[in-house]
Amino acid sequence: MASAALRNQVATKWQDAFNRLNRGQPGISGLMGFSEAWSVASEFLYPKDLGDPPKDFNVQHVKAAFDVLIQCRTLPMLLENFVETMRQRQYLITRDVEAFMAEYENSNDPGIIAKLTLRLCEWYAAWAPLVELGQTISAAYVAHFQTHVFSVLPPTFAGGFKALISATLAAFTDPESVPDAALVQDPNLWQCFETLGLTERYEALISSVCYEHIENHVTGMCAGKWDEQMLSKLREWMADKVVPWMLLPYARGAKTAEEARAMLQGVGSRFDFHVCKTLCDLRTKELFDIIIDYPESAAALQDLKECLQRVDQRSQLVQSLRKANKRRLLHPGADTKDILTQYVSIIRCLRIVDPPGVLLYKVAEPIRRYLRERPDTIRCIVASLVGDGESGDSLVDDNEPIQPLQGPQVDDYMDPNWDPEPIDAGPDFRANKPSDVISTLVSIYDSKDLFVKELQVLLAQRLLAVADGNYDNERRNIEILKIRFGEGPLQVCEVMLKDMTDSRRIDQHVQQQNPSILHPTIISRHFWPSLQSSKLTMPGQFKKIQDIYAKEYTAFKPDKRLRWLPHLGTVQLKLELQDRTLNTWTLDELMSRVGLTERTASLKALFAWVDRGVLHEESSENFRLLEQAEASTVPRGAAHRPIIEDEPMASTVAQEQAAQMRVYWRFIEGMLTNLGQLPIERIQSMLKFAPGYDQTQEQLAAFLEAAQREGLVTFSQGCWKLHR
Amino acid sequence: MDQVTASIAPARTASSKSAAPGSGNDAAGTVTKRLGSELMSLMMSASPGISAFPKNDGNLFEWIGTIEGPDGTIYAGLTFKISIHFPPNYPYVPPKINFESPCFHPNVDINSGAICLDILQDKWSAVYSVQTILLSLQSLLGEPNNASPLNPDASKIWNQPEAFKMQLMRHYRPISDDGPN
Repeated sequence: MASAALRNQVATKWQDAFNRLNRGQPGISGLMGFSEAWSVASEFLYPKDLGDPPKDFNVQHVKAAFDVLIQCRTLPMLLENFVETMRQRQYLITRDVEAFMAEYENSNDPGIIAKLTLRLCEWYAAWAPLVELGQTISAAYVAHFQTHVFSVLPPTFAGGFKALISATLAAFTDPESVPDAALVQDPNLWQCFETLGLTERYEALISSVCYEHIENHVTGMCAGKWDEQMLSKLREWMADKVVPWMLLPYARGAKTAEEARAMLQGVGSRFDFHVCKTLCDLRTKELFDIIIDYPESAAALQDLKECLQRVDQRSQLVQSLRKANKRRLLHPGADTKDILTQYVSIIRCLRIVDPPGVLLYKVAEPIRRYLRERPDTIRCIVASLVGDGESGDSLVDDNEPIQPLQGPQVDDYMDPNWDPEPIDAGPDFRANKPSDVISTLVSIYDSKDLFVKELQVLLAQRLLAVADGNYDNERRNIEILKIRFGEGPLQVCEVMLKDMTDSRRIDQHVQQQNPSILHPTIISRHFWPSLQSSKLTMPGQFKKIQDIYAKEYTAFKPDKRLRWLPHLGTVQLKLELQDRTLNTWTLDELMSRVGLTERTASLKALFAWVDRGVLHEESSENFRLLEQAEASTVPRGAAHRPIIEDEPMASTVAQEQAAQMRVYWRFIEGMLTNLGQLPIERIQSMLKFAPGYDQTQEQLAAFLEAAQREGLVTFSQGCWKLHR
Repeated sequence: MDQVTASIAPARTASSKSAAPGSGNDAAGTVTKRLGSELMSLMMSASPGISAFPKNDGNLFEWIGTIEGPDGTIYAGLTFKISIHFPPNYPYVPPKINFESPCFHPNVDINSGAICLDILQDKWSAVYSVQTILLSLQSLLGEPNNASPLNPDASKIWNQPEAFKMQLMRHYRPISDDGPN
């Protein structure tokens, strides 16, 4: 049984407890007082239903009761008791929440959520103990109340709450769009959120609402609108419309404007960043079209530049533009001229966005690589160099000063304005100072010799096409090009131009000696690109005129000889046709007389006469000279005639390439003759003996297959051999 | 004296050694250039019945040539392979040329394929090229120099076409497309 010591101990404890509760008062009056205080306190704290009639409490009385309990150190027990009763009475709140949520789920009206929040706040107020009772009780109450509320809120509440927040934001930025603005604008609402701890709990949700709102606004306001700067407008909008709203969740309890500003600073800059990012994303997505619209879209590019300074999206921009270029520009369907135009626009636009040129460098690389593969790129660039006016807008801005081509520049570290390369510049990035567009285009190729060569071809065509002897235009072009390319490379062009004026002089001299109806253009073979040759011989009297002229020329310049290119000349003929003998010619007879070998060319020439009513096509390829005009035959239309293609006079680079391929064929023939059959790898490596051989094995394979179709070579067991 | 020369000798060899590769490379460069241009002109000339090409890529000093017997001679319709070896000091010395296919001819050794042709020996000049050699060889087929025969048997029966042709065809091996490899 219990020992004496234990009994003693219990007795002491009992005495202690009694003394504490009785507070040293006589008898058990202290105990009685405590009991009364306990019941008053618990009655006061009891969580009532909102519908119940409020009870009157004497604050002094209650306070005294609590004092007694504090004195007796039984406050924790009272709190426990309070929390337990709250838990028991929780069903009252649950009932309300369920009712409201059911209504919300039916109507999806964020107003219901607002009402629910206000209602919860009423519960909170009704159950709250007096603030005077001290921090401990209030804190314990808030914690427990919030726990209870959050535990009964269904998952759909978050969605509803989000809708409510976004309604409050919309009420600020665009009041018309919210039906019951008054409800969501209730200033108590945010007080309630705070009280219930919703602001804290759903902080991420609130900011996401704001982000989404910003995104929608930016997209709606700025998409496709490139002719004015939007960023400042967006910032104004933020300051006018969004910041007042932000005061509610983010600057609660700010007493002064100063304080509010300090509280908003962090979140404000986050939202400003988001504005920039959204605009930047939008412009990046639209960039290809913005570039097409340049210079009308310059404002959008300024926006993009400002945004990029705030948001680090440069690599995304590069990727997105490269992708757009690949999809929309660098495909066989696009005209080389268009690609060049867009490339030039890209150069201009990206210079606005990023003056050091790192973005341009990264975006341009694939375009340049693609252009290098196109056979007619040089031709297009050269055509725009000499201002080939056919296409209208030239690549080059006429206002841009003409300047020499600029090579890659070395950094000048003595320059006080020197900037280091931007951090995202790659190792092979060359800071090319804003050089002119033509320099950039010419630098697509490793050497400018190609351009000079193509330039000569083009110049040859243009000079020979000049009929009125006015070469001022060409001279001007060459002077301009001299500034760009330097004197040296254009010397040949100079000679070509000089040939034209010299021809006139020589012609004048020859005419004085022996007047002739022939006025040839005399060109120096060595300085002109190879012109297409033709076996055309001038018939009859024309040949005689030619010979007389040639003789006179040799007398004038004994060390030179004329080689006629009659197919490039023109003849002005006046035919007098009256009562001539009838003559029918077949095409073949005609062709053998003038030494023509190309059927199409001869046909074309004859049809020209048929069109003028001089000849009549009797039957297929049989022509009769008409002594008198036959009305019926005049224009029979060219519909039934074969379409005859015009070929350029000077051989183009492509034709030169074909000539080059013929050289390679000789080498292939040589090696196959002497070494027997060879696999393609051997042929490819042996072709290194051919000077200037630069074809890939794939190109060689295509060439060999073409030769196989012509029956020159055969392919068996992985080896090519000559067909004998 | 012996000591003196002995002490000098290594130094001299060393200096000549160090000088040799440089000059050798230079010479090889010009020879390669010359051979390259000869190849180019040979390829572009398209002389009927003669052709030659380097054996391997990267080595311009070993060529293989093909000579067709000229029409109207006893060799008409026959094709012979020859090997051409260019010495490093070409074109100051003639290239070494041998018939690879057996060729029954008064001036050709039937076993070794060695050729007796004045321009390949004492009459050589630097202005000759592969093309002139090949043309000379082609004409040598039809017009042998019976005064200095390498193949006395052939020389003896040169004037008896039937007997000569029989001997020629007995030795001749047609060229297959599998080449020399």
